[in-house]
Amino acid sequence: MTTNIGQLARVTKPLPKQTKERRTWLWSLLIGLAILAAIATVPAYGNAALLHTWTWIVMVIVLAQSWNFIGGYTGYAAFGNVAFFGIGSYSVGLLVLAGLPFWVGLIVGGIIAGVFALLIGLPVLRLKGHYFAIATLGTAEALREFVEVKDIGGGGGGLMSLPLPGLNAYTIVFYAFISLSVICLFITAVLVRSKFGYALIAIRENEQAAEALGIHTYWYKVGAFVLSAVPTALAGGLYAYWATGFDPGTVFDRSISVEIVLLTFLGGTGTILGPIIGGILFETASFQFQTSGLSLHNTLLGFSIIVVTIILPQGLIRLLQEFTRKSAPDLTAVNRFMEGLQRVRRYITANGI
Amino acid sequence: MFDATSQPTGSDGTSPFEKERSSSFLKLVDTTKHFGGLPAVDRLSFSVRRGDILGIIGPNGAGKSTIVNLISGALPLTSGSIYYQGRDISSLLTNRRVYLGIARVFQITKPFMDLDVRQNVLVGALFGRHRMVRSAALRMADELLEEVGLAHKAHFKGDQLTIADLKRLELARALATGPQLLLLDEVMAGLTSTEVMEAVELIRKINDMGITIIVIEHIMQAIKSVSDRILVLHHGRQIAEGQPETVLSDPKVIETYLGKRYAQQYKRPEQVNGSSLDENTQSQI
Repeated sequence: MTTNIGQLARVTKPLPKQTKERRTWLWSLLIGLAILAAIATVPAYGNAALLHTWTWIVMVIVLAQSWNFIGGYTGYAAFGNVAFFGIGSYSVGLLVLAGLPFWVGLIVGGIIAGVFALLIGLPVLRLKGHYFAIATLGTAEALREFVEVKDIGGGGGGLMSLPLPGLNAYTIVFYAFISLSVICLFITAVLVRSKFGYALIAIRENEQAAEALGIHTYWYKVGAFVLSAVPTALAGGLYAYWATGFDPGTVFDRSISVEIVLLTFLGGTGTILGPIIGGILFETASFQFQTSGLSLHNTLLGFSIIVVTIILPQGLIRLLQEFTRKSAPDLTAVNRFMEGLQRVRRYITANGI
Repeated sequence: MFDATSQPTGSDGTSPFEKERSSSFLKLVDTTKHFGGLPAVDRLSFSVRRGDILGIIGPNGAGKSTIVNLISGALPLTSGSIYYQGRDISSLLTNRRVYLGIARVFQITKPFMDLDVRQNVLVGALFGRHRMVRSAALRMADELLEEVGLAHKAHFKGDQLTIADLKRLELARALATGPQLLLLDEVMAGLTSTEVMEAVELIRKINDMGITIIVIEHIMQAIKSVSDRILVLHHGRQIAEGQPETVLSDPKVIETYLGKRYAQQYKRPEQVNGSSLDENTQSQI
């Protein structure tokens, strides 16, 4: 019966065959660039503490953006991305100590992390759901233990006072992180419209159906994992440059892995803007809690995470998408608005609480 | 590739005409699938000719969906082999089989919820047999949506569609992969009688495009009218195969569906008048 009505509608009101595609990706890209451009003005204030805070935030955004490739678009909750971060840091640290220039360490770190992701991804991406999450978490932990026990770069003590500019190059590090974030933003925007991106989204939405349409899901998953690893390692390398010293507990800190997952969930997984918005909100809130003098910092953060996951099941951006979603064309603006609200309400009740 | 000497068992390929036509487009030889100790498909052999519509029926748990899963590669075989256009595809991955032209439609629709209808079909065109570039794939998606009657909902998402529309979407997506063999797993389940008629029409249209089809269905009227041949399964084994009319009046088939008593009851009128039995069976089933 439905189709009869549909056919009738087609007869009375022929729709243009090539209906305009929504350009969400373009808008997201522009908004993302605007946000990052706004952040890029921070050094102008000349406030060292502020610059430090925002450097950290942008770094976390980069980590979240790269996690988004495997966790957001492919739907594989990787909980061990900090492993790649650590690989990046240690590559820079060790190679700089060996007398090589910083950028060599950065590139080598990216390559090693990519290869490592490939080798780890091959077995681990045969797992699904929780098993995959646990396996990636385990990998990162194992890598940290390996570095500590095998006395790599000073073992548990870590690499200290590297011959790098560090404090004197705050602004350079800051802009390097901004550039990395912009690159990730562009990659994401291109990804969502590319064949590769469609494969990843199809895998996330229904892996079985994706396979039935001819997608070699396994290799695409491995590809997404490698894509996720490389920028993470680059960020790790930049961190080494910034901090000039670190120990395994810092650069293989599992709470970083968890944090980037959480903040992407807050912003919206599998969206272009999700990691940026989530990163800014989560990290500013985190800093607020930390500096408010309360010793309840982590408690408050944990509590807000619970609230957020209940009322924002897939993040702020998803909620916005639900609101702006295309409704029937002949609605008035007010009705469209009301319908948008309805959809958001339904979305929350269906996916949240 | 497979000549008459290697005729599959169960096929009544004795006449020379039969031999010539059955170039064995798809051939299953002793395919077996065990789930634990339970044989879902038990040494089943049958073949499908190019351009045919084969209907597969059977009670719940007969192994119908398992067959689709075996042919499409979603499940590995326990033993036996599957030949497609003369090639052993038993160990190929699903995506390789799609590339060779085998597409399937799921019994429970599996739309990519985050993509709209058009993009769903686009994925099929991008990755299927033809591996199209984006612009060609988009054109094909639009054409197919027109074909299945979803063009006016091209920008809807999965959760805005009715069951019938979801089935159309599944179909369009499978067609976008450019199949030569289409496996339809209960596409008509949950449809109204009008929609069933439309679906039958659509299946015929797809068949006319030269696509060989295997239809699994519970709705007898529909499968009878759409199939060239019907295969009846029970406990993973073939119990009858042939023309729809013949198969549906087979006492063994009636017994499987309705029990021994009915089968005996209808044995007598069958000898007197075959067609009256047929109608009775239809109404009973």
